[in-house]
Amino acid sequence: MTSTVTAFAQVADFARPPIDWHAVAPELVMLSVGALMIIIDIVKLERAKPYAAALSGLGFLAPLVPIATLAIDGVASEPRVMFGGAYVIDGYSLVLKALFLIVGYLVVLLATNYVGEGDYWETEFYNLLSASVLGMMVMASARDLITIFVALELLSIPAYLLAAWRKRDLKSNEAGLKYYLMGVFASSIMLYGMSLVFGVTGSTLLTEIGATLDDGIGSEPAVTLGIIFVIVGFAFKVSGFPFHTWAPDTYEGAPTPVTAFLAVASKAAGFVALMNLVVIGFVEREEVYQPVIFFIAAGSMFAGNFMALRQDNIVRLMAYSGVAQAGFLLAPLVVVGEGPEVAATAVSSIVTYLVIYAAMNLGVFAVILAVARKTKSGEISSYGGLFDYAPALAVLMTLFLASLGGLPPLGGWYAKFGIFRSLLEPGTGWGYTLAVIAAVNTVIAFGYYGKIASRMWFDAVPDDDRTRIVVPAALATALVLCIAGTIVSGVYPGAVTHFTDVELLAFR
Amino acid sequence: MLLNQFLVLAAILFSIGVYGVLARRNAVLVLMSIELILNAVNINLVAFSAMTGNIAGEVFALFVIAVAAAEVGIGLAIVLLMYRNRHNIDLNEADLMRG
Amino acid sequence: MSEFLRSYLTVGLFGALAVLVVGTFLGLSSLVRPTRPQPQKYINYESGVDPVGTGWSQANIRYYVFALLFVMFDVEAVFIFPWATRLEAYGLFGLVEMFIFIFILLLGLLYAWRKGVLRWI
Repeated sequence: MTSTVTAFAQVADFARPPIDWHAVAPELVMLSVGALMIIIDIVKLERAKPYAAALSGLGFLAPLVPIATLAIDGVASEPRVMFGGAYVIDGYSLVLKALFLIVGYLVVLLATNYVGEGDYWETEFYNLLSASVLGMMVMASARDLITIFVALELLSIPAYLLAAWRKRDLKSNEAGLKYYLMGVFASSIMLYGMSLVFGVTGSTLLTEIGATLDDGIGSEPAVTLGIIFVIVGFAFKVSGFPFHTWAPDTYEGAPTPVTAFLAVASKAAGFVALMNLVVIGFVEREEVYQPVIFFIAAGSMFAGNFMALRQDNIVRLMAYSGVAQAGFLLAPLVVVGEGPEVAATAVSSIVTYLVIYAAMNLGVFAVILAVARKTKSGEISSYGGLFDYAPALAVLMTLFLASLGGLPPLGGWYAKFGIFRSLLEPGTGWGYTLAVIAAVNTVIAFGYYGKIASRMWFDAVPDDDRTRIVVPAALATALVLCIAGTIVSGVYPGAVTHFTDVELLAFR
Repeated sequence: MLLNQFLVLAAILFSIGVYGVLARRNAVLVLMSIELILNAVNINLVAFSAMTGNIAGEVFALFVIAVAAAEVGIGLAIVLLMYRNRHNIDLNEADLMRG
Repeated sequence: MSEFLRSYLTVGLFGALAVLVVGTFLGLSSLVRPTRPQPQKYINYESGVDPVGTGWSQANIRYYVFALLFVMFDVEAVFIFPWATRLEAYGLFGLVEMFIFIFILLLGLLYAWRKGVLRWI
């Protein structure tokens, strides 16, 4: 152990690391809000309940202020690099942090009535949501294996609890258990991969890992195994084929606002981690990750779409549709090794897709929540004749579904267009093949999105129950925000790409 | 430094852990198998760290230990919840949802 | 003698001293104290809970919460030990950082206390 002793001796001359307080302000604000919420809970106990949702909503909006000042400060052109390159605040991480915060805010809007009306632990719900979003914000800046691991666990552990939130509901228990076991198993596999990558490259910093792998140093089998394990671990997180089996069960059993959170924010965080790892760390080992990601992407699209066709429950259908969308999001990572320009296009197309996907998918879940307030059911048949008694909801749902399918001029169309462009740009066989697979799957997806739409427009109302659906103010706000995002991003994509046209660069 | 022995030990622990996760149907035993995998990771990290002299590996191992405790705490809570509601923790019987 | 063995010599001397001191005190006290053997004095936990059944009997599930809380806070000490070995080098900065860390941990304990988790039902 002499080497360890010398390693300790090296840090003998400790100097306080320079901390750029402005750059970490968003995380610090989020952390303070979380701590404040716990303190209020400790002091006031039950009396804190009525303020929980409002406080947590404000808590998600507050960190947007330092994000805005950082953006005005020109972080996009001069990134702030901290802790020797382990933590980077650049345009890429800022836009993702803003995305996670806004998704968190929308989930609070979705959850307010659901959690308030059920017999649930209210303050804890919002505390855990904040903790999870804090983990995602850290993930956006993480450029180091340890930071990525801690961020991943910080965002996952609260999510396990949220999935099992309805304590006395067997389905919710089962959802939490399955999500937990799959998630922990995946993260332990990913850790084993990380330990091999660390062993071969001798560093946990992604930039140094990238440089070492570029030099071709290191034993081939260990690098190969390490990279594959890491990618497989995150494939669980983003519910990619063949590791998607937890998603439908967890989505169905978990409380619906939590499902929306898992389907959008948690999945996006998995993609952020994959982008950081693949684009900065593993980029030169194309021969290793290209076939793996190709297989997962193509498999996810096919498996997700074909399984979605035979679902009767709308939440399960959305889970499989999410698997298929994960395939789309993974596809550009196959070609990132072709050069820096290709990688830049791929990253910005994924970030654009994540932003638009968040708007349209949260919209669908908002409609599901609104309809379930009346029907108490997730069956697609219960959507029969929705247009007759709730025309606004039916129109909104149709727009969201059309956008998910990729019909112009809605946001989903532009998002898919970006993915195709980044696949075709490098002109490689891998890219062309995936583009063809993606095109085929876009067509298949219309099968089930169209099924829901035709139910709403043409079927008879079940039991002829035409009671109106009362949409609470919070849910209505969420719906308006989501539909605005979906339409604006399609009609005027510049409004989104102005923010999402970002690059993921290696900083030292 | 005899690196190979550590790596072989870690690989064996990892394999036993993966086997346990896939083959065991008792939720608590699955949790214990996951702990085995995490300990394999720790052995790997500390061995590599001692070999390369980069202390980051040991720091990483400390984080793995702390996070593993949190994970298992949550896992036991969920398993206990399931036991209270259905009086068994057999994973094969957790199949309310299908399709 | 090598540096390595000399450091073990210190350990050996220390151990011998410990055995000597403990042996002296135990021996002295056995010389002066009265001896009245009773069966109760020979059970495992004198004045404690009587051991019933085998060592494999089930523990009450209520211990689970305490065990869990113990494990959480116990493991967090993993971050405090490395800090403590280098406390002087880190100076005031390190002290403040660690107090923030412990404060956040304490929030968790306070939370458990206020929610009645620590009460024995």
